[in-house]
Amino acid sequence: MAGEKLETVDVVQEKPEGPSIKSFGDFIDFLKKELKPRGNIVTPFNIISLPIMLLGYAFIVYRLAVGLGRPVTNLNQEYPWGLWIGFDVVTGVAFAGGAYVLCFIVYVLRAEKYHPIIRATVLNGFLAYLFYAGAIVLDIGRWWNIYNPMVGNDFGVNAVMFLVAWHFFLYMLAALIEFSPAIAEWLGLRRVRKILGAMTLGAVIFGITLSTLHQSGLGALMMMAKSKIHPLWYTEFIPILYFVSSIFAGLSLVIFEGAISHKVFGPQIDEEHNKSYDDIVIGLARICAVTMFGYFFLKALLLVHEHAVPYLGSTMGFWYLFEVIGFVLVPCFMFVSGAQQKNLSTIKFAAVLTMVGIILNRLNYTFIVYNWYVPLSEKYWPAPMELVITASIILTEVWAFRWMVNRMPVLRKPPAWAIEKEH
Amino acid sequence: MDELFTYYDMFATKGVEYLIIIAVLVLIVVFWKFLFARPY
Repeated sequence: MAGEKLETVDVVQEKPEGPSIKSFGDFIDFLKKELKPRGNIVTPFNIISLPIMLLGYAFIVYRLAVGLGRPVTNLNQEYPWGLWIGFDVVTGVAFAGGAYVLCFIVYVLRAEKYHPIIRATVLNGFLAYLFYAGAIVLDIGRWWNIYNPMVGNDFGVNAVMFLVAWHFFLYMLAALIEFSPAIAEWLGLRRVRKILGAMTLGAVIFGITLSTLHQSGLGALMMMAKSKIHPLWYTEFIPILYFVSSIFAGLSLVIFEGAISHKVFGPQIDEEHNKSYDDIVIGLARICAVTMFGYFFLKALLLVHEHAVPYLGSTMGFWYLFEVIGFVLVPCFMFVSGAQQKNLSTIKFAAVLTMVGIILNRLNYTFIVYNWYVPLSEKYWPAPMELVITASIILTEVWAFRWMVNRMPVLRKPPAWAIEKEH
Repeated sequence: MDELFTYYDMFATKGVEYLIIIAVLVLIVVFWKFLFARPY
């Protein structure tokens, strides 16, 4: 009996981890199997999210067929940027900033402490670019011409949008390469995994370079509207403000997303990761606090430099102070307090406040303090279809994230053969 | 385009800007110590 038991153990150890894909047919069969839902599909989240997503897809088809005007959006000649640019693209890209910041910390500074969350963060960043930056298709009037900056049909090299378009495209590729070892592990492709693993550092450095440029590039985009943006927000340093704020915006999303993932995907997370989770969150809170401290003083400096102090007494001044004090200074000190007291609830609350502040800041630039002199009755308000489409894009990203985390080694440990190759 | 241009003397606010930068450099030390202080 003892001999039989030993034999069984040997057989289990020799069995290869992951699927055995030898041909394209094997791959299709494997994909079909993986596409099937796992576990209970009748959950409150699915019941609420599915109708919104389906309605959103129908509206997307309608928008692509009939155009951008009413009833799809409330955009007009006065307000060419609305919720889709302000939230989906500009805010979404700021939130995706966590990927390049964390890659810099882990792969360049070699802070191995944060390694357990790197894959989830990179996946989140990749999906954010794919869905939110991809939503730019909806915002382009003649969306069928979106490939023009890529193929050289009038390159428009002087336009900030040219830089942003190429950066989004290249960064998506870089993020895909950064995440691709997990896909290779999922498919059981050992040789491919080895090649992709060797490409990671190069892709990371390329990705960081691109991110610093296009995060600030989105700020540069706002500089086109100098006469329309309130003087409290307008400065020639908007690109720097966008870049600095993307650091704590991205890390706040990492904290927020980590808190949800920890609850939803708890059983997948290994014990080692579980133990280091508190330490990781406290470390991220400290980075957020220091960056927000710098950002706050940058704002103060620019307020003086741009001769905008007299505007602080106006209604717009109160709105500015509400944004800067309420959603930068307050969460900054909450991060400090949370990190010092090792109180994760305070840190998570500060992360949510920071995210709200970033949304407010980006929407301020795109339509709230944009055309600030226009009466409230004539201001832009998102149309119902814009809201539903935005919600459907966010929910689709969440579904894609959940599908990938449940199948690929994102939060759980990679297979043993992949770990061996890393060493 | 002319109406978009507003002339500012960029040196007019330099004094206050230097004071803000000195304040940042001083406060960052306090902030750093507070951030990494042991929990009380």
